[in-house]
Amino acid sequence: MAQLDAQKLQLIQELEIEMMADLYNRLTTTCYKKCIPPAYSESELAKGEAVCLDRCVAKFLDIHDRIGKKLGQMTTQDEAMMKK
Amino acid sequence: MSVLPPITSDAIDADQIRTFKEFLINYNKVSELCFTDCVNDFTSRNVKGKEEKCAYTCMEKFLKTNQRISQRFSEFQMLANENAMAAAQKMGGKVPS
Repeated sequence: MAQLDAQKLQLIQELEIEMMADLYNRLTTTCYKKCIPPAYSESELAKGEAVCLDRCVAKFLDIHDRIGKKLGQMTTQDEAMMKK
Repeated sequence: MSVLPPITSDAIDADQIRTFKEFLINYNKVSELCFTDCVNDFTSRNVKGKEEKCAYTCMEKFLKTNQRISQRFSEFQMLANENAMAAAQKMGGKVPS
């Protein structure tokens, strides 16, 4: 029993790591597209681009949190509805 | 079968494979991105000097962007961890579970 639980726990942990990696990948692609214009005259990040990236990361994660909370709310609501 | 403890060697392998996988994913991502942004002229089959230069600049910029995003991301994660720890401590004070 204890071994089964440990196995399950490991599966969940692996899934969590994979989801984190996926989130991170999406974050980089999205913020790159939103903040870096495709004119490559300079390899250094411009001031405006850097500020845009900082804000983009903050906002992306903020929205991620908000949607997660909303989804959780909706799921519990749905479950409560199903029980009735 | 093996004399060595399989768990540790498996763990190292899995970790290395993950890092390598991340690298490959990233590699494909930059090459696609910089190709789309830099190569638009198909009247010749050869990569022009301008296109090559653009691709290299694009790659460098991509790496710098990744670095910055990674810094900000870890800052947010640290903050989230601290909040979770504080919340757990608060809960632990009242209801040890």
